[in-house]
Amino acid sequence: MKDINEDIKWAQINKDVLRSMENPRMGYWVAVATCIAMVGCAVLAEIWQYRYGMGYANLNWPHMWDLYIATFIFWIGMSHSGTLLSAILHIIHADWRKPIYRFAEAMTTFSLMTAGLFPLIHLGRLWNMYWVLPYVSDRGIWPNFRSPLVWDAFAIGTYLTSSALFLFIGMIPDLAICRDNARGWRKKLYIALSLGWRGDDRQWRNFRRTYLLMACFLIPLAVSVHSIVSSDFAMSIMPGWHITTFPPYFVAGALYSGCAAIITLFVLLRYFFRFEEYMTLSILEKTCKLTFAIAMVWTYLNLIEFASTWYGHDVAAKEVLLEKFYGPYAPYFWMMMFCGSVMPFALAFRKLRRHIPTMFVVSLFLNLGMWLERWMIVTPTLANAYHPIAFDTMWPSMIQWAIVFGSFGWFGLLFLVFVKVFPSVSMYEVKEMVYHRRTAAGKDPEVVLHHPHRRSDDEPEPSGGTPPPSGTPGLEGA
Amino acid sequence: MSGNDINRRNFLKVMGWGGAGVALSGCDMPTTVTLEEGKETVVSYIMPEEYVIPGQGVYFASTCQQCSAGCGVHGRVREGRVLKLEGNTESPINTGKLCQMGQSGVQAHYNPDRIQKPMLRKGGALVEVTWEEAAAALADKTGKDSSLNGGRAAWLTGTVSGHQSVLLQAHLEALGSSRHYTHEVINNAVATQVNQDMFGEVQPTYHVTKAKVVLSFGADLVGTSMSPVHFSREHTKFRSAPRGVLIQVEPKMTLTGGNADLWIAAKPGSEGVLAMGIANELLAKHGLSGDALPGGLRDSIASYNTDKVVEITGVAKTKIVEVAKVLAERSPSLVLTGASTEAHEHGYQSVAAAMMLNVILGNIGKTITSSGEFPFPQLTAKRGDMKGLLAFAEHADKGEIDVAFFYGVNPVYTAPKFLNLEQKLDKIPFKVVLTQFYDETANRADLVLPLASALEDWGTHVPGYLPEDKIISMQQPLMEKLYKETHGLGDVLLSLLKMRKPEEYEGFADYYAFLREAFAAIPSDHKGGVGDEKFWMQALQFGVIPVNVAERSIKPTPIEADLPALKEDISYPFYLVPSAHLGLWDGRHANLPWLQEAPDQISKVVWGSWVEMHPKTAARLGVENGEFVRVESMQGSIEAPLYTHRGIHPNAVAVPLGQGHEEYGRYAKGRGVNPLKILNPVTDEKTGEPALYGTRVQVAKAPFDEKQKMVRFGGSETQVGRKLVASITADVFNRTEGA
Amino acid sequence: MSLQNILTNWSQYRKGHEQGGFHDYEHMWGMAVDLNKCIGCNACSVACYAENNLGIVGKDRFEKGQGMHWMRIERYWDEPNLAPGVSEEFPSRGASFLPMMCQQCNAATCEPVCPVAATYHTPDGLNAQVYNRCIGSRYCSNNCPYRLRYFNFYSYYDWSWPEPLNMQLNPDLSVRDKGVMEKCTFCVQRIRVAKDTARREDRKVADGDVYPACVQTCPTDALVFGDMLDPESSVTKLWKAHQVELGKTKQHKDNEELRGYRIFEGLNTDPCVMYLERVREVEV
Repeated sequence: MKDINEDIKWAQINKDVLRSMENPRMGYWVAVATCIAMVGCAVLAEIWQYRYGMGYANLNWPHMWDLYIATFIFWIGMSHSGTLLSAILHIIHADWRKPIYRFAEAMTTFSLMTAGLFPLIHLGRLWNMYWVLPYVSDRGIWPNFRSPLVWDAFAIGTYLTSSALFLFIGMIPDLAICRDNARGWRKKLYIALSLGWRGDDRQWRNFRRTYLLMACFLIPLAVSVHSIVSSDFAMSIMPGWHITTFPPYFVAGALYSGCAAIITLFVLLRYFFRFEEYMTLSILEKTCKLTFAIAMVWTYLNLIEFASTWYGHDVAAKEVLLEKFYGPYAPYFWMMMFCGSVMPFALAFRKLRRHIPTMFVVSLFLNLGMWLERWMIVTPTLANAYHPIAFDTMWPSMIQWAIVFGSFGWFGLLFLVFVKVFPSVSMYEVKEMVYHRRTAAGKDPEVVLHHPHRRSDDEPEPSGGTPPPSGTPGLEGA
Repeated sequence: MSGNDINRRNFLKVMGWGGAGVALSGCDMPTTVTLEEGKETVVSYIMPEEYVIPGQGVYFASTCQQCSAGCGVHGRVREGRVLKLEGNTESPINTGKLCQMGQSGVQAHYNPDRIQKPMLRKGGALVEVTWEEAAAALADKTGKDSSLNGGRAAWLTGTVSGHQSVLLQAHLEALGSSRHYTHEVINNAVATQVNQDMFGEVQPTYHVTKAKVVLSFGADLVGTSMSPVHFSREHTKFRSAPRGVLIQVEPKMTLTGGNADLWIAAKPGSEGVLAMGIANELLAKHGLSGDALPGGLRDSIASYNTDKVVEITGVAKTKIVEVAKVLAERSPSLVLTGASTEAHEHGYQSVAAAMMLNVILGNIGKTITSSGEFPFPQLTAKRGDMKGLLAFAEHADKGEIDVAFFYGVNPVYTAPKFLNLEQKLDKIPFKVVLTQFYDETANRADLVLPLASALEDWGTHVPGYLPEDKIISMQQPLMEKLYKETHGLGDVLLSLLKMRKPEEYEGFADYYAFLREAFAAIPSDHKGGVGDEKFWMQALQFGVIPVNVAERSIKPTPIEADLPALKEDISYPFYLVPSAHLGLWDGRHANLPWLQEAPDQISKVVWGSWVEMHPKTAARLGVENGEFVRVESMQGSIEAPLYTHRGIHPNAVAVPLGQGHEEYGRYAKGRGVNPLKILNPVTDEKTGEPALYGTRVQVAKAPFDEKQKMVRFGGSETQVGRKLVASITADVFNRTEGA
Repeated sequence: MSLQNILTNWSQYRKGHEQGGFHDYEHMWGMAVDLNKCIGCNACSVACYAENNLGIVGKDRFEKGQGMHWMRIERYWDEPNLAPGVSEEFPSRGASFLPMMCQQCNAATCEPVCPVAATYHTPDGLNAQVYNRCIGSRYCSNNCPYRLRYFNFYSYYDWSWPEPLNMQLNPDLSVRDKGVMEKCTFCVQRIRVAKDTARREDRKVADGDVYPACVQTCPTDALVFGDMLDPESSVTKLWKAHQVELGKTKQHKDNEELRGYRIFEGLNTDPCVMYLERVREVEV
């Protein structure tokens, strides 16, 4: 089974991708309206909470954190997939990533933009949120650099900037293609964004270097971001939070939920934009295998967390664990274990892997499991920490649910805008991929360069689509 | 003066020597910011009022009026408003400490539901009127030119003491009436009767600190019996090494029970039998002398052998033996009784049996001494009880009362349903309610007179329970009145008196003037050699006036206790325990949000009623914590959520007093249930005091009521293995910290 | 915590409190709670409401767990030391009451986690909360093993003190707005007054100059408060008598029967409140 049909013409690639950006159908507008409605719910809930107090979220003593923080980690986690696919697979030359990394990167950026909202939403005094940042004030007041929440602010800020840059840089050659094919406001936008890309050797060389550098920079950053998020918990002294394995556990969970989300979006894009040629079943299968591997890592880390708690001497932590097993939140805990550790075995079967509707459903379950995981990290510990007088079971109010619900609308809205404004499949890299595959298959790579319908001779070759036809284009071109 | 038999008439005559009224001066309230009609008069601090130091609290002494214990308070006053009440260190009652009810006195004062204007019933509805109009109505109905037959006028009050009591008696006398009914739900009426019969005085002094063992038959010493803060102070001394032992026998754990070394749940009503059984053990096994007891009583004690007592009381034999042993070995001891023993059909006998233990144990003269002869009997507390309300209701029903004044009581709320009080009240043509709040009784009044709060009023008080150091406690205004058209009790009484006897009372401009005169009239041997003015200033400064008391000794005359067998009632298998707790008290504090939000000490429930039941009983009935149960007596039923805990006898269900108000302001209204309503008409046979704990009820599951659901503080009833409250034995404690 | 300060005192900062720590304290306010004396009457709690402008939250919000009881009395039915594992028909040794107020930990877990340093340690040894600086991340409360921090989930001034109840509010401290964490301060406003008075009179604050509202009103003298740097203060003497020391995760006592202990001491929070074990006569 081939990852991609190597006979596909480059012009066809351009045409297919550019087509996906045009003429939104009715369904698109319905989706946009739904997302806006969801965001509207969240905005109303937030206005209410802002005006009348956090109490309406049913937050209480001792449940000072709940869905907001859980969903924050969920979105942060989801952001890791883009980086993983893009950066890690890029430097290990796994070229099957090429058709899908663009939307994965977009997903990274947008889920970060969603995640970043949650620490703000959950603040009691949202209007003072900038106090977490180290800005120079005449009173010499600084944030508390010992607090993991401050680290969070730095980590998320850095990660958001870097991944947005990474997304943008990787898009430049494609933006040039868009520019060459666009009219009206789009033309102006792409002219500005493509930064004068002409596709000459020097540009390609610089581009490759920058991209590689960004990829190398992003990998440790991504790992550290989720480690830092995990230190919100691991740095505390609460039983069930104060766990050494949390950083890798969080990173594994992050990659896991990210991969699951990639599968979801993969299926959606493939179906709606008819990207069957690019988002092939073979690539889906590879993604699924990767997801399965990560799921097993995650399961393993779960088990060692339980084991180390069980055999440790921290009675309180053990009780929290038992409460997870048997307590009021046990249904959610076991559902998380089922979705997170049992469901992925569906990915182990080739037949199921290749059945797209099944994969769609499974990926949703995996993501549900990952969301539950975050909730089960935050809440059972708060429900059963050290002091028994504060043992309490709490159910989040509609305000919290509305904001969590709305965050999906927000993410969806950003993504919907993205797929219509930017190419959601990397054209130049798919071309590269086709080129290399042809070479590898012993076919004439030059054939695909041929334009089936060239309009006129004086029209320039679409610049983005012409990587130098050497083995490692750009790097040693000049 | 103390030696003389001075009656009230003489006292008033003595007082009458003085001249014209004295202008309000001296220790008055700062008036920098007045709240009159919402206007604020800003006065420069360049010439500040006396005692107003911007930004600094100034303390004034007064007396707490939240219950009749009469604790001294210091009110912290800043910029003309009182901010906080603290204990008065000079008062021997509470020596600088204050309970939660006392702390909440400021909320009674600043309560948003206070009545601000008199209300007169016109055409069926109460309408706000001016004080002049109210006074005219009063004069019309009760003045000397009215058609009132003075003998048909009555006062129904709570416990009153001091000069307010003097004026009240004067008013009754001016009317030519002797109808002063006093009513308190939480009272010691049966015990005081036993004390009177046994020791010759209603309230001897109990020396908890001198006792090595305190055996309490339901006496909630640190809670609702007698004087909470005082006995809490005593408790601390009692518990320092060498540590005294507290044994509590009661059907439902009170706050004192929660602090007991041994808590025994006897069958409700069998406490007297237990006392007899312990007496039998003491006489038969420990060789104590029963010589002081009459022969009949000795025989009757001998008939209560331990096995029989075990059968009647349901208390384990080992416990009876142990209690007798510790009482015999550790002397002196102190045996006390409380509501759960007193308020039964045979309460008098049970109390007599318990107090008889003091005689056998030789505690009289050691831990129980005479309180001496208070030199101003006219000032001592007129204790309220339930039978006062019964008498009032009966006389009202017979149409013997034409005008009734109510003060410090809320009988429409506290009267059991069987009394049918509302209907009986309707037979009184003119009902005057003196109150701070629009309560259930005010709702049925013909005239409501808004009272100034305890922090705005003058007065003197003699605490209901007097410790060794006897005092009169001074009440003075801590700030200017919040509402112009409210008046203090003394002022109202004076104006009532002026309507009857203007010639005698016109001389007093107000109650303050009366008090000044009264203080001047106090014989000089009680003034510690200082002049009148200084004596007055000292009283204001220290808040207490020490009183010298003539010593007296007690010669007990034990009473033969004839304890009837407990009756079983198959259709009403449980005893209802209408328990009182420090907090809402008898319901008078249900409008204070701090106390509503302060968890009950034992059940930790807030803002509502609950039913306490033993888990075994609940399991038998198939009900669980938080579910609703219907508690039904022959008189009616109430529904409240269930709280199960082991600190209650399986034959008892406890419903706390305090909630179930139909009026009484935003914090109290429509909240919970009032167990007093379903009491059966059973009384203590000997004293006629209604037996509050003698009602039999049945219990069944009831539908859930979202509005009245139980809200409790705390997520866990146990320490789940954490070291939170660690305990050691008294043995170790005495060894390491013994003197 | 300016940079210069950090550099100057670096060696001190580097010391854990177990090695003596950063000792530059003027006072070290501490408490001792005698559970033999405490009767669980709740007077301290209401006194705290009165002194510290604590909002009344009402039934629904109390049910949600949004009460503001800085000083709370906990009641437990079990007594692990006296009757481990025994569940009798009746609690024959009564109930166990535990007053809990902020333990003013010297290694407070709430302090390092606050993103804006709204909670910090004062030179008085107090764990202070700066309401104005608080942004309401609530991390401190999550990290407090004693659960002694309470959050303003609403603007209680809207309705907790309807007129004229608001006239009772103590002007010495603020009424907190929504979104701010708060907790027991050992009545810092009273401490400030005592320190100012002492400074005017050119002396140190003496034992007995200042009491928090709970200590002042405790009818049983179960609470003892004072400066633990003052060797003559009653609280110092009590700690010494029970051989409990600050800066230890486990106390080494000559006499194991002494009653002093600190709650969750093993977590190394180094609380400034010592509890004395509850006592029961078991020979009856």
